Amino acid sequence: MAVLRINGKEKVFDGSLPATLSELLITLKVDAATVVAEVDGEIIEREKFDSFYLKEEQSIELVRFVPGG
Amino acid sequence: MISIEKYAGTSIAELLLQKQLDGSGDIWREKIDRVMEADVEKALAMPVGVFSLERLIVLISPAARKYLEQMAQAANRLTIQRFGRAVRMYAPLYVSNYCNNGCRYCGFNRTHHYQRTRLTIDQAMKEADVIASEGFRDILLVSGEDRKFIDVDYLVELTQRLREKFSYIAAEIYQLEPEEYEKLSKAGVAGVTIYQETYDREQYKYWHQAGKKADYDRRLIAADSICSAGMREIGLGVLLGLKDWRIETLAMGLHANYLMKRYWKSHVSFSFPRIRPATEVERAQFEYLMPDEDLVQMVTALRLCFADAGEVISTRESALFRDNLIKIGITKTSAGSKTNPGGYSEVKDATEQFKVNDDRSPELVTKAIKQAGFEPVWKDWDRAFVESK
Amino acid sequence: MDKLIIAGKEFTSRLLIGTGKFASNKLMAKAIEASGTEIVTVALRRVDIENENDDMLSVIDRNKYLLLANTSGARDADEAVRLAKLSRAATGINWLKLEVTPDPYYLLPDPVETLKAAEILVKAGFIVLPYINADPVLAKKLEDVGTATVMPLASPIGSNQGITTRAAIEIIIEQSNVPVIVDAGLGLPSHVAQAMEMGADAVLVNTAIATAADPVAMAKAFKFAAEAGRIARLSGPAKAGDKASASSPLTGFLRGSEND
Repeated sequence: MAVLRINGKEKVFDGSLPATLSELLITLKVDAATVVAEVDGEIIEREKFDSFYLKEEQSIELVRFVPGG
Repeated sequence: MISIEKYAGTSIAELLLQKQLDGSGDIWREKIDRVMEADVEKALAMPVGVFSLERLIVLISPAARKYLEQMAQAANRLTIQRFGRAVRMYAPLYVSNYCNNGCRYCGFNRTHHYQRTRLTIDQAMKEADVIASEGFRDILLVSGEDRKFIDVDYLVELTQRLREKFSYIAAEIYQLEPEEYEKLSKAGVAGVTIYQETYDREQYKYWHQAGKKADYDRRLIAADSICSAGMREIGLGVLLGLKDWRIETLAMGLHANYLMKRYWKSHVSFSFPRIRPATEVERAQFEYLMPDEDLVQMVTALRLCFADAGEVISTRESALFRDNLIKIGITKTSAGSKTNPGGYSEVKDATEQFKVNDDRSPELVTKAIKQAGFEPVWKDWDRAFVESK
Repeated sequence: MDKLIIAGKEFTSRLLIGTGKFASNKLMAKAIEASGTEIVTVALRRVDIENENDDMLSVIDRNKYLLLANTSGARDADEAVRLAKLSRAATGINWLKLEVTPDPYYLLPDPVETLKAAEILVKAGFIVLPYINADPVLAKKLEDVGTATVMPLASPIGSNQGITTRAAIEIIIEQSNVPVIVDAGLGLPSHVAQAMEMGADAVLVNTAIATAADPVAMAKAFKFAAEAGRIARLSGPAKAGDKASASSPLTGFLRGSEND
């Protein structure tokens, strides 16, 4: 079992983790084009989603723009 | 169209050039002459106290002369609203009439032959004692450009000695370097007055033939240096009589607005030095001598555009004139002034910078102020409250 | 009409629109269009990975509108700085509405944290538009650290009370060297016209449009109000008649004076 902390909550993956950030987003059905990702406090550029390999226990923040004043 | 001024990133020299108020263009004469009575009525109907060049032009125009009484009434109301009825009293202390500059209009011009003298610190303190005995707690140090003797160390030492007797010390001296202003500020000088004399570059060149003061651009940034050094008050002025007062007033108004926005912690005042008789200076050479009505118009126009600026009148002006100006915008005045070093204790027989017109004693001047319904204030700010000994 | 210039960039519209509280993204897009705005604010939130909702950015044409990310939700300078960096990464735009609101009831901005964050963010290359209470001294201090504008509130966010901070905003307008954008609490087009008549450079409106019965029509009304107010300001409005009390003449002395 593999675990990642996503947006403050623990998510358990059956089998292995998604290999990269891109794959994670596909798994979660989140459109990569509109999302900002932070892994363990560091911002990851969108171009690097494909090549960013995930590890167990990482803390990931997925943030996007929403309506606001 | 009323323009709304913002100056982020622009220097005063650039601003004056942009607006052609440094003599680089002649657009203003036409604008001023085109002002009509209807424009004046509109300008007077607008809320008072906020600056715009368009408004100031109207108020200083010949067309506004008919409305002088109305302007005076409005200036009176506005001044009382913002300053109450207080009039600050100060006295000048001339410490040297040696000068390295060659200003054509001045009694202290280096080419003139006159009795030159400078005071030692002790002699200056003797003068200060006389001034303090008359009730003053606000003193203005004045000096010609006598760097070798009246240097920053002298000024700092004198300031420190004066702090024992005076709660407010200001200076009206030759231009210093930024670090030197900082030293003065730390020593206890709270304000500096420095006149641009004229904002017109060509005129400036003509009247200032020699010495450090001959550099227009250097002179222009003095106010910036003074405010950056943390001085609480900055006094501006043009020497009235060198050039058309109307254009000079526009330039000075622009300068004031620029300083107020950029150096928001410093308080701006206007002075109104009018050309006066001086030893060896020929009056006939001045084309633009300013009649009384014009000066009243200038004082009230500036008051109506700058609700919170100080307006200062000295003993260059006559008693009658001063007593009446107190009612229409003046917030600070001197009395019993001696413009020659040593003049108070009558120790030396030195030459004055200009002939004092109102030579009434401080007692008589304050009596007149009270009769006009105003209140002379001797002590306005005391650094002792905020500093430990 | 004269252009609005912020950080060297020119804009025709002086009405900024907040995108929150609309019934749908589609309605929001129509209202934005009707308002004539060129700048819209957006917020950053965590993606809800349980529910996939439609993405607002797809309805906002980024070639037409400048996306001004705000740091709403930040309760201190550190959080604001973090949100700022995230939004810059998301859009590539370094413009930022700095909002630091530790108070969850009135959403009033924290002056100390805002100043702190502003200084950090300006140094980091952001174009900072700080949201503040109408505090003239704070406005000058923010200008000193290099913010591109100041954005004083008219009244608390969402309250629609109009300009309750008039006197202070007038001072800010008088003293400011950077554009003054009145934000928060503007509930009616007349409030916006008033702000512009007072001399504000621009206004930001969100709740009043988003929660109106007909947001698209209301957006249009606000557009006209912003324009009307600006034109009025530039035309030099006359002040209300003021009863001058009869007083003795002050310039009579000139007739008899000696002019040497």
